[in-house]
Amino acid sequence: MSADPFFLLVAILFSIGLIGVASRKNLFVVYMSIELMLSSVNLLLAILSQVLGDANASVIALLLIAVIAAEAALFLAIITHLYRENRTLDSDRFKNLSKVR
Amino acid sequence: MNYHILSSIIFLPLLMAILLGVMRAPLKVLKAGAILSSLTTLLLVVRVIIDFNPKGGMQFMQNLPWIQNAGITYSVGLDALSLVLLTLIALLMPLLYLYMLKEHRKGYWYNMLLLQTGVTGAVLSLDLILFYLFWETMLLPIFVMIGKYGNGLRQYNSMKIVLMTILGSMSMLFSILYMGYIYFETTGAWSFSLYDLATIDLSTKSSIWLTAGFLLAFAIKIPLVGFHTWMAPAYGSAPTPAVVIMSAIMAKLGVYGIWRFGYGLFGGTLHYYTPTIITLALIGLLYYAIRAITEKNLRKMFAYSSGSHLSLIALGIFLSNIYAWGGSLYFIATHALASAGMFMMIGITYNRFRSVNIEQLGGIAQKAPIFTFFFAFFALCIAGLPGTGGFVAELLIIIGAFKSSFLVGILSATTMLSAMLYIFWMLQRTLFGASHNETKIADLTLKEIAMLTPLVVLLLLTGIMPSLFIPYLEPQLLGGF
Amino acid sequence: MLNIIVTLPFLSSLLIALIYLGNTNAKRFVLYTSLGIGSLVIITTLSLMSLYDMMQGAATIHTKLFEWIHLGDFQIEVAFMADRLSIIMISFITFIGTLIHIYAAGYMKDDAGYGKFFSYFNLFMGSMLLLVLADNPIMMFVGWELVGLSSYLLIGFYHQDAANIKAANKAFMLNRVGDFGFIMGLSILFISLEGHGFSFDAIKANIALIDYQTLTLIGLLLFVGAMGKSAQIPLYVWLPDAMAGPTPVSALIHAATMVTAGVYMVARFSFLYIQIPDIGLFIASIGAFSALFAAIIASYQSDIKKILAYSTMSQLGYMFIAVGLESYSSGIFHVFTHAFFKALLFMGAGAVIIAMHHEQNIFKMGALRGELKLTYITMFIATLAISGIPPFAGFFSKDAILVTAFASGHYAIWTIGTLTAGLTAFYMFRMLFSVFHARKSKAQRVLHPLPKCMTYPLIILAIGSTFAGFVGVNGAYGGENFIAHFLQLPDISVHLSHSSEYMLALLNVSLALFGMTLAYKLYGHRAKEAQPDTLFKKVIINKFYIDALYETLFMKPLLSLSRFIATTVDMKIFDGFLNYSILFYRVLAGQFIRLQNGKVRAYALYFLLGVSAMSLFLIYKLGVNL
Repeated sequence: MSADPFFLLVAILFSIGLIGVASRKNLFVVYMSIELMLSSVNLLLAILSQVLGDANASVIALLLIAVIAAEAALFLAIITHLYRENRTLDSDRFKNLSKVR
Repeated sequence: MNYHILSSIIFLPLLMAILLGVMRAPLKVLKAGAILSSLTTLLLVVRVIIDFNPKGGMQFMQNLPWIQNAGITYSVGLDALSLVLLTLIALLMPLLYLYMLKEHRKGYWYNMLLLQTGVTGAVLSLDLILFYLFWETMLLPIFVMIGKYGNGLRQYNSMKIVLMTILGSMSMLFSILYMGYIYFETTGAWSFSLYDLATIDLSTKSSIWLTAGFLLAFAIKIPLVGFHTWMAPAYGSAPTPAVVIMSAIMAKLGVYGIWRFGYGLFGGTLHYYTPTIITLALIGLLYYAIRAITEKNLRKMFAYSSGSHLSLIALGIFLSNIYAWGGSLYFIATHALASAGMFMMIGITYNRFRSVNIEQLGGIAQKAPIFTFFFAFFALCIAGLPGTGGFVAELLIIIGAFKSSFLVGILSATTMLSAMLYIFWMLQRTLFGASHNETKIADLTLKEIAMLTPLVVLLLLTGIMPSLFIPYLEPQLLGGF
Repeated sequence: MLNIIVTLPFLSSLLIALIYLGNTNAKRFVLYTSLGIGSLVIITTLSLMSLYDMMQGAATIHTKLFEWIHLGDFQIEVAFMADRLSIIMISFITFIGTLIHIYAAGYMKDDAGYGKFFSYFNLFMGSMLLLVLADNPIMMFVGWELVGLSSYLLIGFYHQDAANIKAANKAFMLNRVGDFGFIMGLSILFISLEGHGFSFDAIKANIALIDYQTLTLIGLLLFVGAMGKSAQIPLYVWLPDAMAGPTPVSALIHAATMVTAGVYMVARFSFLYIQIPDIGLFIASIGAFSALFAAIIASYQSDIKKILAYSTMSQLGYMFIAVGLESYSSGIFHVFTHAFFKALLFMGAGAVIIAMHHEQNIFKMGALRGELKLTYITMFIATLAISGIPPFAGFFSKDAILVTAFASGHYAIWTIGTLTAGLTAFYMFRMLFSVFHARKSKAQRVLHPLPKCMTYPLIILAIGSTFAGFVGVNGAYGGENFIAHFLQLPDISVHLSHSSEYMLALLNVSLALFGMTLAYKLYGHRAKEAQPDTLFKKVIINKFYIDALYETLFMKPLLSLSRFIATTVDMKIFDGFLNYSILFYRVLAGQFIRLQNGKVRAYALYFLLGVSAMSLFLIYKLGVNL
């Protein structure tokens, strides 16, 4: 069986994630999009492990799931904190680095 | 390191500055040190003049490896052309120190020391990277002196001069690096020595572009018309010693650069630019003079005057015959003396009246005859009156211009009229007439007279007996550049 | 000897200047006087001795002081040459110069700037002698410029009054315009003769090497210099204003010596000008026109010194007629006689001015002949001389010029010259009668006493004005024209029968007498200032509006151009170009700033675009195989 449909799936998932990061304002959605991209890459690892017959990639993919879980905790903490500080989750409001006010 | 007279002349002021800085010398010691270094360099330069052999071409050479893998050497040397400028620097520095004797800001003195090293180094270096280094070094103290000790819109003006000059320097640096690269490509070794680079064969097209890189730097420094808008503001804002150095030395370095590097590296290609430069110079001659007529700030007026005469000097170089060359070289010296004197007088005027605006002056002649004498003398020198060196130089350039072409001759002869346009009206309003205020004005002090007299004597000597000086220059002029 | 003659005045000038600047308030009357006049007495003696030698047949003297410059073929020496022409010139220059110095010692006695005055005066003498004795044109030009400088300094001597400085500036600038032409002429001459030496002798020997066109150009340009220096149309406007200086200055510089430098120059270059008769004719026409023009203006002036200034210009016109028509020796002859009577007139005028407490308007004087007897008599003699009444000096020299004009067939010039002669007599006697004869104004006046050193020189000059003409009596009057034979200039030879010469002379004299009578009728009893009531008079009294014309033609455009450059070209074009290029970067930066908006998602988008672009590049450009 060809791996191509799986690659396509990865690409679609990644693109959805990327577009989500670029177009959505809500920090939660941005966060979810980031997670989606990460997960799509994770999926790629798993697929490649299968295609190339290399178990190392599967191991890394499993480890990454743990990382994603840890990340989720961190992200949610940050988002909560930001909400408490600014009473908003609009990502466009957080632009201290910009010259355009 | 072996003792070498030119290197001593270059680095003595810098070493003195470092020494004094490390010592955290008190003001009195600082002044004494600066004056000591300037007098010592003057003595060394006198020594050089005595040993100088007019027929010897480039002499007093010193070559030391410096950055070997890039082929950059420390190489200095002296010929008649650099001798003129070297003498002027060495002569003017003690006089300027005498002028600023009462100056209590320490940074001022350090800057002057650094400035001396910068200009001397630029005059004497024969390696292009070394030259570039000194060329930029001399800009630094000027930047600080205008920006920190100047007046008026000083910071804006100091930024302006630095940015415009750096624009030129960058194009020159690009040309230098590119030539070094071509040398590397053809010979397999790096070198930035003037004589090495002069040997490479360039295609016409690249040679034209490289020449343009150098010429832009020099045209801005001189400044030729069109590249000049930094000049009047910078002269207007700069403190007197900086103005003197800018007008008497640094502007001449632009001309010197064309002579040394233009003719040295691109003797053939320079002809490509001759019509352009001659046109610009002739326009400048009249443009600046006409601009100066209605200028009310004396410093700016003589900034334009300086520009007008430097255009004439630049013209002389591009006419390529011995009279024009001789005239240009002679004018470099005599105009430096006259403009140094003039700007010092303007500085003294400022000290006396707290103003250099013509409208606020007037009637000085009744109150201060010695002041009037010196002021009028330098002004008339700039107007090129016979008996002063400027006349000899202008005469030579005019003759040279007529030798090259009739039209250029006529236009360059307008120098007889151009300076007169602003000088005499200025004298009328500044020195003569009824005085505006009844306050008593002190005439020149002995210190001031002592500082101006050497300039007067030299100007008269260059005017009355040019035969004392020309023999130093003639062999090199006959040999071409 | 020549070295001493030229350098001594310079040295004494320098010495006086140094002493004066040492302490400007000190009164050192005796010191300055003895230095200033002493040096002149010495050089006068030396000049007269050389003149005597040369009359005995001595050859041209050449002396060299030092080498001035030597660059390539440009080899100029500070060297002097006294041939017959220059020896005549220096003799009367030093002689009259000494007299005027003595006179000035009286005139300037109470002035605070006494030392300064003598320093300038000696500087002028040195420069003038340098001009005359120079061995090469370059040294001549140096002298030429230096007399201009000393003239500038002396016109502006009373510098407290801005008007005087203005007059001085005007004089210097117009002279410089002339010098502009002169130096161009010299440069072309040098270039044409490059390598053949540049002393007058060398130029004379090699003049044939230059083609006719170039020679014409050189002659014309050199004459432009003469126009400036000798106040001819169109560069004459400075001379009347130059009267702002002290009267001895007007007498010495603007009457007797400096202004004749142009004539001398043409005579000095006579070997050049005989090759180009067209330019000669041009010179003569300018001279004739200037002579008439000045005489017309002089007839309506009321300032005594300005009348004399215009009359000087008019007489200079005669001299240029002579040298232009290649009758060089009669030109120099007129220079010679003119020096005597014009110096006398100015010094007399100065005496009158001093006596009248610095009043210069002739119509505010009147009936002075009883009180200033000596001045009156001497001035009368001078006026007769300038009007060309025989046997006074002016008759012979002017007659020689008009005879030349007539005999060489230039009748238009001759007519103008003759008319001007009549007009000269009219306006000169108008001045004389107004000052000395006309009924005096009612106000009581006490005359300022005149020191002896101001009156004795007048007597000497009066003697000179009477007899100076006898050195040039020509064949028609039983003389042998000593001066022409002595000068040995390449004169044109004119032939005119004695009877026609008598006719011409008779015509001149009767015109002069007519002018004199007319002046007596109009001004002998009751002098009235000319009023600008008709258009004709208005134009003449305003000097044909030439000053205003020059103002609008040259000064105003220059000033507006200067302002235009300052406000528009520099600010808007050159600086504008720079500022616009800066603006360009600014606008660009403004656009880039928008990208950096701090929105994370925008950054992510750039990231996406960047990665996509890179991927496309990898795939399609570099052909990375996936």
